[in-house]
Amino acid sequence: MSTTTETEIPLRQRVAENPQPALIWAAVGAVLVGVELGAILQVVGAVAGVVVNLLPGDPGASAVQSLQAAFDAIPTLVSRDVIPNQGYWNGTSYQNTFLGLSPAVAWAIRVVFVYAYAFAVLAWAWNGYNRFRRHYRRVDWTPRDDVVNRFRNHSWGKFGLIIVITFVVMAVFAPALGPTTMERNILQPYDYEVSYWSEDTQSVETVLVGEANIGSGSQGAGDENVAPLTYDDFGRFHPFGTATNGKDLFTQVVFGARISLTIAVVAMGIAGLIGLGLAMITAYYKGLADLATVLVSDSIQALPVIMVLILMLVIFQNTWVRELYDGAVLIILIFSIVYWPFIWRSIRGPALQVSEEDWIDAAKSFGQTPTQVMRKHMAPYVFSYMLIYASLSLGGIIISVAGLSYLGLGITAPTPEWGRLIANGQQYVASPSWHISLLPGLLITLVVTGLNAFGDGIRDAIDPQADTGDEAAATGGGA
Amino acid sequence: MSTEQARSARTEGEPLLSVENLRTSFYTDKEVIRAVDGISFDIFRGETVGIVGESGSGKSVTARSIMRLVEKPGRIENGRIMYDGEDLLDKSAKQMRSIRGGSIAMVFQDPLTSLNPVYTVGNQIKEALRLHRGLSGSAATKEAIELLEAVGIPDAHRRVREYPHQFSGGMRQRAVIAMALACDPELLICDEPTTALDVTIQAQILELLEELQEERDLGIMFITHDMGVIAEIADRVNVMYAGEIVESAPVVELFESPKHPYTQGLLNSIPGQGLDEDEQLATIEGDVPTPNEDPTYCRFAPRCPKAFTECDTIHPEPVEVGDGTGRHRASCLLYPDDLPTEEAVAVHREGGQRGGDTR
Repeated sequence: MSTTTETEIPLRQRVAENPQPALIWAAVGAVLVGVELGAILQVVGAVAGVVVNLLPGDPGASAVQSLQAAFDAIPTLVSRDVIPNQGYWNGTSYQNTFLGLSPAVAWAIRVVFVYAYAFAVLAWAWNGYNRFRRHYRRVDWTPRDDVVNRFRNHSWGKFGLIIVITFVVMAVFAPALGPTTMERNILQPYDYEVSYWSEDTQSVETVLVGEANIGSGSQGAGDENVAPLTYDDFGRFHPFGTATNGKDLFTQVVFGARISLTIAVVAMGIAGLIGLGLAMITAYYKGLADLATVLVSDSIQALPVIMVLILMLVIFQNTWVRELYDGAVLIILIFSIVYWPFIWRSIRGPALQVSEEDWIDAAKSFGQTPTQVMRKHMAPYVFSYMLIYASLSLGGIIISVAGLSYLGLGITAPTPEWGRLIANGQQYVASPSWHISLLPGLLITLVVTGLNAFGDGIRDAIDPQADTGDEAAATGGGA
Repeated sequence: MSTEQARSARTEGEPLLSVENLRTSFYTDKEVIRAVDGISFDIFRGETVGIVGESGSGKSVTARSIMRLVEKPGRIENGRIMYDGEDLLDKSAKQMRSIRGGSIAMVFQDPLTSLNPVYTVGNQIKEALRLHRGLSGSAATKEAIELLEAVGIPDAHRRVREYPHQFSGGMRQRAVIAMALACDPELLICDEPTTALDVTIQAQILELLEELQEERDLGIMFITHDMGVIAEIADRVNVMYAGEIVESAPVVELFESPKHPYTQGLLNSIPGQGLDEDEQLATIEGDVPTPNEDPTYCRFAPRCPKAFTECDTIHPEPVEVGDGTGRHRASCLLYPDDLPTEEAVAVHREGGQRGGDTR
């Protein structure tokens, strides 16, 4: 291949010239997507449903509904239907479980499958990046390579990454991970029945889930306790035991992961966007814009975060905003407003620094527009700082949300939340039902530690010179 | 027709850029610093105008004022910058953006920092091409390669996708020049483009600029503090001191018969002029003063070996000091030297009363 053609050919053509690595990668990708196609389409259907709902007159609502039904029918690899665990013992064997295995084993297999699939997808993506780097990238080195390499040598960061991935997979695959479903066990327990083997009558009997829950709560006493990794009286397996009201703790934990992650990521995303945008504007224009932002952000920062949160949540009690996603939307909004000054402040310095670089002047001198200068020549430098700060602050938000829920102010029932679970089991910490508080508490600790470790790793990878053990950020706004 | 004649023919016509009585001040808490104070000069097509002076004499601020890139707390307070018959100071921000790069381009002092290290050189040239000529994709890449070839970068096909750090200093300055030329400007402002380079590379860059000027009929405004470089490249030279142009002359004339004591001092302080063993190289004592008040005196007077009493009370105006064609002017109370000193001083005193702000 001559150097002349090498420079000018676009990526598509470079792939066409050496299609094998790309094809193999695409084929593996197709398999990975194919086995989960149903789930992806279900998400699309759900989104379409929401969109239709928002449109005036609900155009094509029936079409969307039939589409959703069709999508639901597509079998997916990692789903409850393929590896069912909600069966019962009929005296001789397990019915309706995966390969006739016990519910516990069937559930464990499904969890392993979910994580295996998730890590396979990640490995595939990583492999794709490596293939691109080896076979198709125009240049043999970019600054990003160094960042990636530094992160790969950062064990603490990698530990964090694994925790974070585990947590994210937990949130994403929550419906498939729980031994039972939200709908069945938590939201509408009196609409479903459960079959079980009754020792008394030596036969299979059925009971409403709600009634079964009442009979299997963990309330401290020896016979009123369903410990982790045990079955309750109705033959249902509880990996984390049950809560005080008999609902499955693990199901609540995985869905709690969902809401914690959603709040933390969305709030940090919004705060980050506001912070980054303002940092660009203040660094580019300086002067009055800067002064005004300093004033506003100082005012916001002067308020104690947890006080503002409690105050706002109380003020908005019983309003429609409070109802959205059981309070999550309101919490996200409050966090975005409270957190952007922290982000803006931490990146203002780097933004000002980069705005003084000669290449900014050079870009101006060939007539580049202010927005493009900010976006192309300033934002990339500041973005990594923001990423570091945001990843270090995520843990703080998760702790804050849990703290609010613990106080009964954050996420309201029925959406499960880790902080509420802790509050729920607080009385029983010193009893056989210790698991209700302890397990969610341990998870919070682990996840926040993981996020901080991951943030440390990113920081060291992006900016090896920065050696500020920013502990304040780690606990920022923590309850 | 020799090039010399061609140049003089050109200078007869309409100037490409005409700076009139420009004043740019910086408002600090303590004082108002007139970094550029009432300077005027013209640049013609195909001509290189040198601006020379010590650090802090306002050379770079002049360049930035022309580009309208003076940053706060700086402000252009007075004067006109006529380009193509229109005053650049009246342009909107948007019009100014299309002029920057499109008609007037700038090359910065330090090629190490004037390229963004995270984009390839080609990418940055293409950015300018996309902006002013609407080129993108492979057309832009092709044009970028041609530009790199035009500035003498070998193997441009490969280098277009390399990062600035993979270029040597001289190569980088060539790339910066290629970027400046991307949109076919008529005027190139070079702000000490060779200062950060070593001498052999300097010579190459100067040669390159001369070639490009021949090819494209560029007007070049060349800022430097290096008299040697000025002698090499400039057709006309403006000597700046404390925000003012103290002498303006064709390059040969300036070097052969410098009139202003400051210019004389500058030329005397160039090393290697065949001094005897025990003779010391002449220097100009002191520093450039900060021009923070109205010019009611000669700003060079405190350092001037020829200063006399009136120098402290009368501001010198530019007067003709050459062969009568008006091409050699100096601002010094010693001139015009065919008049006795009192009369010469009177000329300056009257001249100072005429000028007023236009803005």
